[in-house]
Amino acid sequence: MSVTYIEAIREAQYKALETDERVFLYGQDIGEFGGAFKATKGLKEKWPDRVMDAPISEDAMIGMAVGAAIEGMRPVVEMQFADFSSVGFNQIVNNAATHYYRTGVPIPITVRMPSGGTPGSGPFHSQSIEAIYSHYPGCIVLTPATVSDAYHMLLEGIALDDPVIYCEHKLLYRWLKSDDFEGDGLPIGKARITRPGKHATVVAYSAMVHEAVRAAEMLQSEGWEIEVVDLRSVKPLDTDTVIASVARTGRLLAVGEAFPWGGVTAEIVSRVVKEAFHLLDAPPMRLNAKDTPIPYHPKLWAAHRPTPESISHALKELLAY
Amino acid sequence: MNGLLMNEKNVCGTVKERSRLAPQSVEMKYRDAYLTVIFTMGQTKEHARKVYQAMVRSRLLEMKFSSLYKAGQIVGGVYLGKGQEAVSASVGARLEPGKDIFAPLIRDQAGRTAFGEDMLDATRTYLGSAQGPMKARDGNIHRGRPSEGVVAMISHLGSSLSVVGGMLKAREIQGKLAGCVGATCIGDGATSTGSFHEGLNYVAVEKLPVVVVVANNQFAYSTPNSKQYACVDLIDRAQGYGVAGHSVDGTDMLACAETIAKAVDTARAGGGPQMVVAKLLRLGGHGEHDDGSYIPEEIRNSTYGRDCIEVGKQQLLEKGWLSEEELTEWQEAAKMEVQEAVKTAQKEAGPNPYNEDWSALAESRFKEAHT
Amino acid sequence: MPKIPIVMPQLGESIAEATILRFNVAVGDTVEADQEIIEVETNKATMGVTTLCGGVVQEILAKEGVSYAVGSILGTVEASEEEIERTGVSTVSQGVSDAKEEQERQVEEDEANLHFKTEDGGYFEPKNVSPTVQGLPVPTGKAGAHYISPRMRARMNELGLRAADISAIAGSGGGGRVTVEDLEGFLEYISEWPASPASPMRLAVADAMRRSWTRPLATVGHPVVMDKLLDHRREQYPKPGLTLYVLRAFALALAEHPSAAGFLIGEKIVHPRSFDIGCAVQVEDGVMVPVIRHVDTKSVSELSEEYSELVDQSRDRRLPEAATKGGIATVTNFGTFGLTWGTPIPLPNETLILGISAGVKRPVWSDEVNAFIPVTEAELALTFDHRVIDGGDAGRLLKRVAELLSKPEDL
Repeated sequence: MSVTYIEAIREAQYKALETDERVFLYGQDIGEFGGAFKATKGLKEKWPDRVMDAPISEDAMIGMAVGAAIEGMRPVVEMQFADFSSVGFNQIVNNAATHYYRTGVPIPITVRMPSGGTPGSGPFHSQSIEAIYSHYPGCIVLTPATVSDAYHMLLEGIALDDPVIYCEHKLLYRWLKSDDFEGDGLPIGKARITRPGKHATVVAYSAMVHEAVRAAEMLQSEGWEIEVVDLRSVKPLDTDTVIASVARTGRLLAVGEAFPWGGVTAEIVSRVVKEAFHLLDAPPMRLNAKDTPIPYHPKLWAAHRPTPESISHALKELLAY
Repeated sequence: MNGLLMNEKNVCGTVKERSRLAPQSVEMKYRDAYLTVIFTMGQTKEHARKVYQAMVRSRLLEMKFSSLYKAGQIVGGVYLGKGQEAVSASVGARLEPGKDIFAPLIRDQAGRTAFGEDMLDATRTYLGSAQGPMKARDGNIHRGRPSEGVVAMISHLGSSLSVVGGMLKAREIQGKLAGCVGATCIGDGATSTGSFHEGLNYVAVEKLPVVVVVANNQFAYSTPNSKQYACVDLIDRAQGYGVAGHSVDGTDMLACAETIAKAVDTARAGGGPQMVVAKLLRLGGHGEHDDGSYIPEEIRNSTYGRDCIEVGKQQLLEKGWLSEEELTEWQEAAKMEVQEAVKTAQKEAGPNPYNEDWSALAESRFKEAHT
Repeated sequence: MPKIPIVMPQLGESIAEATILRFNVAVGDTVEADQEIIEVETNKATMGVTTLCGGVVQEILAKEGVSYAVGSILGTVEASEEEIERTGVSTVSQGVSDAKEEQERQVEEDEANLHFKTEDGGYFEPKNVSPTVQGLPVPTGKAGAHYISPRMRARMNELGLRAADISAIAGSGGGGRVTVEDLEGFLEYISEWPASPASPMRLAVADAMRRSWTRPLATVGHPVVMDKLLDHRREQYPKPGLTLYVLRAFALALAEHPSAAGFLIGEKIVHPRSFDIGCAVQVEDGVMVPVIRHVDTKSVSELSEEYSELVDQSRDRRLPEAATKGGIATVTNFGTFGLTWGTPIPLPNETLILGISAGVKRPVWSDEVNAFIPVTEAELALTFDHRVIDGGDAGRLLKRVAELLSKPEDL
């Protein structure tokens, strides 16, 4: 018996609906249809009043959630694809994210963002949006990489009093399996050492954690021991754990699936250079997707994003310094 | 629902009114006839007086803001509702504080006042007192008390509509919706935004008790109606969204009080979303930094260039619902109230950047040390 | 009665200044609160400036047709205490009686607060200019054998290591760079070797020599015939040290050309203030350099006692700190170890060091007797900072010392 990443997300929503009557789900096609990815399958039947279909109006969906949050609810909004959140961007960053600072009234909404690329999904169903929302004050941005994190961080996120951008990776939905949801109890804001090592640190999050682990395995035969850090949440960013790892290894590679200009990997590098310059034995490196829209064809797509091969290639360059 | 909608249009005459080709005299005549019908139905005198008193208080408060601005006491902008008080106050006065929801926009001091806003909230926010509802973190018309039903607007127009919808939806889920109304005011320019469209469509789909009051003051900053929309009248859109529509002359105080009361009451009674389009003219610039010199003379001199405060005064005096003496009493009391609020806010300390909690998160444990 | 300022308001989000069109009031007029008393024009609109409270216009500081920055004080209104209490306005700050002063004070405050404030009420953006000086030389490689990473640097500082200390490590990094892992490996390797702590004296000498070695040092040599000198010395009582003759000759030669002992600091040569010469004394596990003062003004016999005392103090490790300071050059007699040639290194704060070797009996052809005669010859070795003097100067200086040593009776 095994559970998948998407099942974890469904189960977390089930649990939230069951244990907290302030929680409701809102999104396109999430009701009887069960959602484009079946993340809400069967939930409408059990909670007909708290699982609601939305019109194709991302702006209004978030606005609605902000209003409901003001009234004490804890809305969980499903964006059908993270890419479409750009239409609700204004409500997220200008309304939800500023609200507590401006008025003192918190906005505990969770926006589920089916993120990241899958083969053949093309430019508008593959984007990684975590950096954009991290840039704005007032948002918490979660990027679970494991089945148990998918479950526990969603539940934890729903319970937080701030707008939570929950980035769930579509590639992991059914590919990633686990025996159960049992976690290690790490809270939001703490990164995890996924794989210990001593020659270089790879900092990754979401699906890239698994690609980094594979790259580390590829280098193992050559005698390199690579440490992989899973950020888990990109905001708050656990700089301490990253620096502690760099202290062990002296070399840093930050890997992200998002576009290369700025972003999470740049933030990691800038913090490490500023706070741990003396721990670096080589210039820190970043590896991101290419600076083009995400291409449709699986061959182009695979070359556009970081892969175990490109990560191990970058690591070799880092180790040769 | 459909039956009610049809009925609604017949009563308010929106179908006739929106045919702008009709000569103005016909419109006026029709309005008078309509008012005669409505205002003999009782309960109107007190409502009209409530609306008008809020208008008077709001006008005096806003004149003070203008003066403080022109004396260099207010940093940022001052945006006034001069000429739009009848519409705005009619919304606020028909809502019940503590129960209903109000999402004012930039020209809704009158509506805020009618909805019970303490003048101190306004003066503290404008003058940057740390004791204001926004603690000087946001200014002027962006203030609100969301947990008391007053949405704090953001500058992105139309975005409050779905928020009001969500607040009402939450109450529906909580089983507390019965008898509640949410109202939001916007301008002609805001009707061009995607947010307005999405929000109005949403509340229509959900059949929520929302009243959208569009003050069509003919200019969005300096952009005239002709560059804002292509339909004959904004009220035409109501049908497209599947909401009830009401047109009114926004300078006609009694007409505003009655039409908007009707819209609010209908929504409250379960009649679904209501859209009111009030035509009027902004009697000033976009803000106090703008003299509105681009507004053509003929528009200023048209019926819509009338000052609703003057119109309302004549209307109440004629009906014997208000005496000159009582009006003077209202004005004097309001002036005192304004002066007291300004004095208090003037003396209060502004924010201290050294003591400011520089965290945007309610979950303060996530405040980042590494930035 | 208190005074209320009339302030140029911020009439628009991007407005920095406004022009006075006309005053609607004059000094002495009574005004009411909120009365529009000045008409001003921005580049966007024409607006009125209001008073905050009622009173009497006391002074008007601004002129019609002139532009004033936002926040400028345009005049003052004198108001009653009651009116001020009623309106809650703030008065012109206490202790400043003159509004003009207040205006100036305010301008100063504004200038401190506003980044873009200038006299013209605006900020003129800098013009684009081309760089007028050449930048730093650009390294061609990103790493190399001598590159020390931030972590290497931090680790070496922690261990007190210098670049010289890691010269033994073969680098495995890019361009032969020593990586921090190479360093840790080396440290682990040497941990298996016998080791003892270096004495403070050893560390002090090491530090001085390392610092000195950062300069381009060159050494030149010249022979000197010692027989006359040795004869002269033998006749003295007590016998002065041989080093003392060299010290004295060196001081006299330097006194003739003081710039040779100059010290280069940036773009300046720092010249000797007096001819105080140090002399290297071998002590246990190191060297000490006591300084003898005014060597150019005292004869060998006069210096003899002071010299002996300093040498004794050095060997006993009771040399006062002050006695090691202020030298302009040093003499080292490495001949005492039987050495016939050496390249001494000057102290890091000195440009010159003069060494003298052991004397050696050599056959030298004499025209007088038309035969080889035995003479005692030693080698003088002068090491100098080539930034300060060149080979020719050093050679002339050395010849002059040899010449002076050949007439010991004059020393």
